[in-house]
Amino acid sequence: MTLALDLFVNGLIFGLFYALMAVGLAMIFGVLKVVNFAHGEFYMVGAYTYVLCALKLGVPAWLALPLAAIAGAFLGWLVERTLMRPLYAGYASWAVMKDEYAVVVTFGLSLLLVNAVDKIVGPYPYRGPALIETSRFALGPVMLNGQKLIAAIVSAALLVAFAIFLKRSLWGRQIQAVAQNRLGASLAGIDATRATSLVFAVSGLLAALSGALLAPLINPSPDVGAFPAIKSYVIVVLGGMGSVWGAMIASLLLGVLESFFAVYVSYDYRDAFGLLILILVLIFRPQGILGERSRDV
Amino acid sequence: MKGAANLWANRLRTDFRVALAVVGLLACVPIFVSSPYWLGVLIVSMYFAMLSLGWNLLAGFTGQFSLAPAAFAMLGAYTTALLEYHLKASLAIGIPAAVLGTALTGYLLGRVVLRLTGPYLALTTLSFAEIARVVVGNSYNFTRGDQGLNVSALMHSRVGYYYVFVAVLLVTLAALYALMRGRAGRFWLAIRDDATGAESRGINVVRYKTFAFALSCAICGLAGSLYGTFSQLVSPELGLLLQTGLVICMVVIGGMGTLSGPIVGALLVYLLSEWLREVGNIQLIVFSIAVILVARFFRTGLWGLAQSVAARSRAPAVK
Repeated sequence: MTLALDLFVNGLIFGLFYALMAVGLAMIFGVLKVVNFAHGEFYMVGAYTYVLCALKLGVPAWLALPLAAIAGAFLGWLVERTLMRPLYAGYASWAVMKDEYAVVVTFGLSLLLVNAVDKIVGPYPYRGPALIETSRFALGPVMLNGQKLIAAIVSAALLVAFAIFLKRSLWGRQIQAVAQNRLGASLAGIDATRATSLVFAVSGLLAALSGALLAPLINPSPDVGAFPAIKSYVIVVLGGMGSVWGAMIASLLLGVLESFFAVYVSYDYRDAFGLLILILVLIFRPQGILGERSRDV
Repeated sequence: MKGAANLWANRLRTDFRVALAVVGLLACVPIFVSSPYWLGVLIVSMYFAMLSLGWNLLAGFTGQFSLAPAAFAMLGAYTTALLEYHLKASLAIGIPAAVLGTALTGYLLGRVVLRLTGPYLALTTLSFAEIARVVVGNSYNFTRGDQGLNVSALMHSRVGYYYVFVAVLLVTLAALYALMRGRAGRFWLAIRDDATGAESRGINVVRYKTFAFALSCAICGLAGSLYGTFSQLVSPELGLLLQTGLVICMVVIGGMGTLSGPIVGALLVYLLSEWLREVGNIQLIVFSIAVILVARFFRTGLWGLAQSVAARSRAPAVK
């Protein structure tokens, strides 16, 4: 029983980390109907910015975190500005090959960022400094790592802030409108281009923060983004492509399921498990667990 | 309509001739080059040319953007290697078995993903590729996991191997040309451009889509199986997503939806990458930038560039 509780709590914590990545990916899919295959690299850039600022420049850890967020947001904005515009801004003939273009470009970007960091910073993993030095401690029957708990609390707070931003703020509502109907939104006077830029900046910010928060736990190397990126593909499919709320629920679900699968079924195949879910969901329930109605970003 | 059909046939014929000329040049190389190192490099680039042709058949001609070509090369290589490791089967059984096995797997995967397009298809094939790699890499008792398996070689002469690869490439190219010229090719292009329209005109979309899937995977499986016997070691690294990334780079740079594009792209990218590796290991940075620029600004790749240059030089004569 204690083991099960331990697995459950740890699974939920991992679910929170997954969610930071996945909501951004879901939002990008919501507004542009493309999968960003470079999403893992937003995470990697966040982790590296945090680690390098803290280790090489001597910036205190609590200040390195917002710096990583800025780097992620800037990267997201830049990607949208330079590479994503052809998907919607008046290039009529491009619509034919839209999906292929998006896959090629984001895949190429992912290759570029991984190898550029590998070349410039080096292929060796770094160990990030913890936000607060703590040792493992017991919370009731569950053993927890201090940094992990802090990262989980910050992630939860970020997710709540993001949800409020999306639901209540003017910009958040504009994003929702663009996701529902780009043309309709522009007719109603919403700057759809700015909303799309915003989506990428926010996605980059969240993914980079996820990387920065986890940097002390994962020892980032250039290809560190591949693993969380694949998790977020699974989550986005499971939650219904483009649904942010579905993605949040699916993240927690996947975190818990994986944590149990690794112990009770097979540790070696734990990474294949989520992908199997992805294939099954796409074939049997392509609208995701929450269904078609939830797809309102 | 007749004019448009002729235009396409002419374009395809020119395309095929260019590809033939490139393979012909490749066949002449051993006369001038005897360095086993460079022959080896060219053999690997022909392996990639096969993968590129196979992937292009799916992504370029049929519009099914798969992310699994490297996984099928790995499956083909492992079919041959496992048959030899467990059953002591000779390569005369192992290589055809790899082709059949990957064709069947490809057919089944094609059936499964039939209704999926665009990002959904990309994600499903990506998951299939990663699952295949994780399963092969972790089934220590059956595949020896990451240690890999040894395979016996087809022959020991490197020049001999070189010509095996040239011959297989030539046969693949000719078969693809024959298919593209005939009914199947027209149907594939129709499905790529408008699947609903094709269906309404009486094309059996299910049959032709799965056929393309099976054939493409068989080409990748054959390439992987041959490559395994050449390197005499098969490991899960053959199926890395990075390898698929390289194949996509090659086809996009060479020109998607053509026959010569994938071959030229594969040779160019792989030979350049050998050189850039010596310069300072920057090959992947250069190619990823090239792919982004090509996709963003010259959608038709080198083939399209050559075509527009040819059209420009011909233009005054027409006037």
